[in-house]
Amino acid sequence: MLKGEHLTKSFGGLRAVSSLDFEIQEGEIVGLIGPNGSGKTTLFNLISGFYRPDEGRLFFKEKEITGKPPYIIAQMGIGRTFQIVRPLPDFTLLENVRIAVLYGRHGIRDVKEATGKAEEILEVSELADKMHQYPLNLALEDRKRLEIARALAINPELLLLDEVFAGLNEKEIEKAVAFTFEIKRRFNLTIFMVEHVMKAIMGACDRIIVLHHGAKIAEGAPEEVAHHPEVVSAYLGKGYVARL
Amino acid sequence: MKPFLKTLLFLCIAGALALPWLSPPVYFVSLLFIVFMYVVMAESWVLIGGFAGYLSFGHGAFLGIGAYTTALLMNHFHLSPLWVLVSALPAGAVAACIAAVIGYPALRLRGPYFALITLCFAFVMELVVKNLDFLGGPEGLWLKAMGIDVGLARGIFFEVMFVLMVVTVLTVRHIEFSRFGVGLKAIKEDEEVAQTLCVHTPRVKLSAFVLSAFFPGIAGGLYAYYLSYIHPETVFNIDISILIVLMALFGGGGTFMGPIVGAISLSLINELLSAFLKAEYARVIYGLLFVVLILYLPDGVMSFFRKGKSADT
Repeated sequence: MLKGEHLTKSFGGLRAVSSLDFEIQEGEIVGLIGPNGSGKTTLFNLISGFYRPDEGRLFFKEKEITGKPPYIIAQMGIGRTFQIVRPLPDFTLLENVRIAVLYGRHGIRDVKEATGKAEEILEVSELADKMHQYPLNLALEDRKRLEIARALAINPELLLLDEVFAGLNEKEIEKAVAFTFEIKRRFNLTIFMVEHVMKAIMGACDRIIVLHHGAKIAEGAPEEVAHHPEVVSAYLGKGYVARL
Repeated sequence: MKPFLKTLLFLCIAGALALPWLSPPVYFVSLLFIVFMYVVMAESWVLIGGFAGYLSFGHGAFLGIGAYTTALLMNHFHLSPLWVLVSALPAGAVAACIAAVIGYPALRLRGPYFALITLCFAFVMELVVKNLDFLGGPEGLWLKAMGIDVGLARGIFFEVMFVLMVVTVLTVRHIEFSRFGVGLKAIKEDEEVAQTLCVHTPRVKLSAFVLSAFFPGIAGGLYAYYLSYIHPETVFNIDISILIVLMALFGGGGTFMGPIVGAISLSLINELLSAFLKAEYARVIYGLLFVVLILYLPDGVMSFFRKGKSADT
C-alpha cells in the first residue's frame, strides 16, 4: 500500500534518512522504532509531504507521491498525527474534528452535516462529553486522543501515528492500545506508528521496522526484532551485547 | 438576535437610507460616506488578515486601483457619469486580478514577511501610478462632472456605498461560519496542521485575498467619483492601508462585527478629537488609545463582549 524506494533526506551534513527501502501492506499495523535521532519523524515528514526527499521515491496505492504537497497527500488518504500534539487552540474539540470532516474525504461540504459526522467520531474517541471544551483544558491523554480523532476525521486509509503513547502512564497505554485496535477495525485502516514505549509496540504491531542513523537495521515480527543483536546494540551499546 | 437589537438595526438602516434626502449638513453625509467606505475596506481586510491571520498592510492599494480603473474607463469610453455605478464593478474585478498576481507569490511568505511585502506593494503602486503618463502621472486625473444636481449626485453615491457596505458585511458574515471561513481560521491557528487535514491552503488563502481586494476595488470606483479628482497621493496614500488594519484590529479581527465597530468608532473618535482639540493633541491621544488597546484588549473591542458570552456557557 505504501512503498518507499531508496529514500534519502539530509539536513546539512547529517543524513537523517539514508537510502531507505520499506513497504507497508494493506491492513497491517507496522511499528517504526529506533533510538532518538534515528530518523523516524523525518521519515513521517517525508511520507506526509512536509519534506521533499533528496533522493528516492514514494508510492501510495501504486501512485507516486514523491514531492507532493501535504494537502494532496492527505486528500489521497494518508492521515497523520504530530509527536507534540498540535490541536487548533481556538477551536473547540468539535470544531477541531469538524474542519477535518469538511475538507476531508467524506465528501461532506455542509457545516451542519459535518457537525453530525464530527460528533460521531468524537463519540468513538470517547471525547463526546468534552466536545464543547477547548483543547488546552484537556489532560494529555485526551489531547492525544483528539489528535487521532482529527486525523481519523479526514477518512484516511493509512494512518501515521507519531508517538501517540509517549507520556502516558501504564493504564492509559493499555487503553490507548485497545483504542488503536478499535479504530483500525472500525475504520478499516492500515497503521504505521512510531513508538518508544516498547510494551505498547510489542503488543500492537504485526511487524516492526528498526531505524538507526537513518538506515534500516532490522525488520520483522516484534519478538524477532527485540532480540536482534544489532537492535540491542543500537539501543544499549555494543558492550551490552558482548556481556550477553 | 434580540428584538431590541433587531429594531435598532432596522432603524439604523432606515435612517441611513433616508438621511441624504432630508437635506442634512453636507458634512454629515460626507463623513458617513467615508465611514461606510472604511467599513467596506476593513470588513474585506478581515477575510485575509483577521480570519487567515495574514496581515496585509497594503490593502489601501486596491482602493486606488479601483479608483484609477473607474476613472480610465469613464474617460476612455466617454461614458455618462451615472455609468460609474456599473463601471465600479470592473474596477473591483481589476483589483481582484491584481490581487491574484500579487497574492500568488506573496502568500507563500508568512508573518512579518507577508506584511512587509504587501506594504511594499502599496508603496510601489503609488510610485508606478505617479510615473505613468496615461494615468495622469503626478498631476492626477480629473473625472467629468456629473451633469446632475450636486446634492442628488451626493445622495446617489451615498446610497450606493451604503448598499456596497451591506453586501460586504453580509458576505463576510456568511463566510465566517462557512466551510471557507473555517478553513481560513484553521490556517491562522496552524497552517501545517490545516494541510494534514486536506485544506488546500494556497488555494484557500488566494481566494480570500482576491475576494478581499474585490470590494475595496468597487469602493475605490465610487470614491473616485465622489472626489471627482484623483491623485496618487490621495487614493494610494499608505495611511489608508494602515488605518484599515488598525480599524479591523481595534474592533477585533476574528469576527465580522469587529471591523464594523472598529471602522465606525475610529472614524468618529478621530473626527471628535480633531473637532474639539488641536490636531497635534488629537494625534497623541489617538496613538495612546492604540497602545492601551493593544495592552489590554489585544483581540479587539469585540473580544470584550465575547468573553462575557463564553463565561455563561
